[in-house]
Amino acid sequence: MQSKMKESDPILEVKNLSASTDNLPILKGVSLTVYPGEIHAIMGRNGCGKSTLSKIIAGHPSYNITNGDIKFLGENINSLEPEERSQSGIFLGFQYPIEIPGVSNLEFLRVSTNARRKFLNKEELDTFDFEELVKEKLEIVKMDQAFLSRSVNQGFSGGEKKRNEILQMALLEPKIAILDETDSGLDIDALRIVASGIKRISNAQTGIILITHYQRLLDEIKPNYVHVMSDGQIIKTGESDLALELEKKGYEWTDNFIKET
Amino acid sequence: MEIIEKIKTNKSIDNQTEIQKICLDKLQSSPLPNPRSEQWRLSNKSKLSNFLDYSINENNSKFDISYPKNYQSNIRLIIGDNCQIKLIEKNYSIQQLSEDELQKYIKEQITFFNQNENWSDLLNLSLSGKNNILGLKINGSEIPPIEIFSHASSNYLNAKTLIIFLEKNCNVELLQINLGEDNSSLSQSTFFCLEENSSLNHGVVSYGVNKSNLLNSLNVIQQKNSEYNLGSLHFKFNYARFEIRIKQSEGNAKTNIKGMQITKKNEQISTYTKIDFDGPNGFLDQINKSLADDKSHAIFEGSIIVPKIAQKTDASQLSRNLLLSNLAQIDTKPQLEIIADDVKCKHGATISQLNEEELFYMRTRGITLTEASKLQLSSYFQEIISFIPVSKDRWDLLDKLLNQN
Repeated sequence: MQSKMKESDPILEVKNLSASTDNLPILKGVSLTVYPGEIHAIMGRNGCGKSTLSKIIAGHPSYNITNGDIKFLGENINSLEPEERSQSGIFLGFQYPIEIPGVSNLEFLRVSTNARRKFLNKEELDTFDFEELVKEKLEIVKMDQAFLSRSVNQGFSGGEKKRNEILQMALLEPKIAILDETDSGLDIDALRIVASGIKRISNAQTGIILITHYQRLLDEIKPNYVHVMSDGQIIKTGESDLALELEKKGYEWTDNFIKET
Repeated sequence: MEIIEKIKTNKSIDNQTEIQKICLDKLQSSPLPNPRSEQWRLSNKSKLSNFLDYSINENNSKFDISYPKNYQSNIRLIIGDNCQIKLIEKNYSIQQLSEDELQKYIKEQITFFNQNENWSDLLNLSLSGKNNILGLKINGSEIPPIEIFSHASSNYLNAKTLIIFLEKNCNVELLQINLGEDNSSLSQSTFFCLEENSSLNHGVVSYGVNKSNLLNSLNVIQQKNSEYNLGSLHFKFNYARFEIRIKQSEGNAKTNIKGMQITKKNEQISTYTKIDFDGPNGFLDQINKSLADDKSHAIFEGSIIVPKIAQKTDASQLSRNLLLSNLAQIDTKPQLEIIADDVKCKHGATISQLNEEELFYMRTRGITLTEASKLQLSSYFQEIISFIPVSKDRWDLLDKLLNQN
């Protein structure tokens, strides 16, 4: 499916990636290539390695890459720190965004945004200029300014946390965004707001990887490719109708592919 | 006996005040605290010995350490500065205690002293000459914030004593700053008496430089309907010990304490607290935080004593600790001693490390590990710093803590 000729270079290339934590293999040879403008969805049972893949791409220190490469914009990033990956344009939207008591959301967003801007050789923003920028971006996720004065994610509802993730994505303007179950815990309205935010932020130069269990997010954001993961491997790749088929037949249907593999 | 000899050599018996003589007598029976006693068993013996190594100095050198400019509205006092204090304004008065009042009060306090528990006070009162004891009585309202300084000079052991009577219906904000210079020892004893309906927001900020040592003892007596709030911070001492003893003498009083000690390198800083409820309806809310890095050692021992008379006491003591290195050590022991049967008392302790998932989250937003750690620590520190009254912002406490070496 991904072997067709592309006009530009890939944003992200994961090649035969194997990884472990505490000597326990989690990923067992994952390959995935994302070109500009593409939206990929990764689906699979709980524990199949979807979230682990996203964390390894973002540089989580608890995992060891035992084989394979992650290339971002043509450069191998296996040994880059998480902050270096973020500054260069990789964004991970967390399934469970972390609460950081005592750290103001506004200051957190400003420090993050300036770290990215510094990498891009853009002028860093002072508090006043940043407030102007963040006000614009708040509108994308329909968040109230009051969220800015609170501690990062503390006391936020599930939906508010996810919107805060998309707000961060809007501010950081990543080249690739990996959104780990951004749709979980969202009601229909919140899902639409989040999905519309993602669509507004993404463009022909960016790539998106959506990790999800459900078709409902993919109804809002139509993926170019759907990958099914099982036991640390991508066992099937198809176009958007693969997700519909999975929704109908369930993951048991994919067990046949494992046998074939 | 070394310290006794040193005191005697420093000052002939004829020049000693009556208080000094009484305390020296008491010290002679046990010149050092019992290392097996609960209050001293974890104290580093060689560091305590180093505390006592320096020559005794009753004269006061000028501050070498720069401190923020005074706000005109603040009252700033330096213990040992020999100044006469008599401020009588329309709404309030601050006056020095007379010699008789001082003697009477201290003598009364000494009768309650326990050799191990009050060893730091005995040492302090044996060392403190007249010039280094500041006694004040404060009354009235709309009293400007007060800053009181103590400091130890390089290569010397200095002793400073502060005694304050807060008269009825009086509200005061007071920041006490204890500064240690390089290779110095400071013995600081403080006595507060809060009369009925008075309230004191008290900040204690103590910090040193290389090889500074501190024995800091705080004794508070609260009469009924008084409120005592303490925010304290101790850091950058080779050896420091903060002893807090609070007695709600008739119950019906409120005490709030938020304290923090930060240790690095091979420092040892400890906090000992004893809260006595001697009447009903007392209230206490206490949090003590320790942060230990490198090969340092932080200690907290707290005790809450609720006798039969102290019915309806509502007391909480929590010790929260952050261990930043595998070689650092934290000892914590919050304790309750309850005889009364109708009380609400709780205590607890936690020891943890910086939260890895929080750090990763921040790093995935482009924030470096160092900055992410600082952000986490600043949130840990803020709870305590925000409780310290009087111009804490001018003292750049957060900055001092985050950027100390």
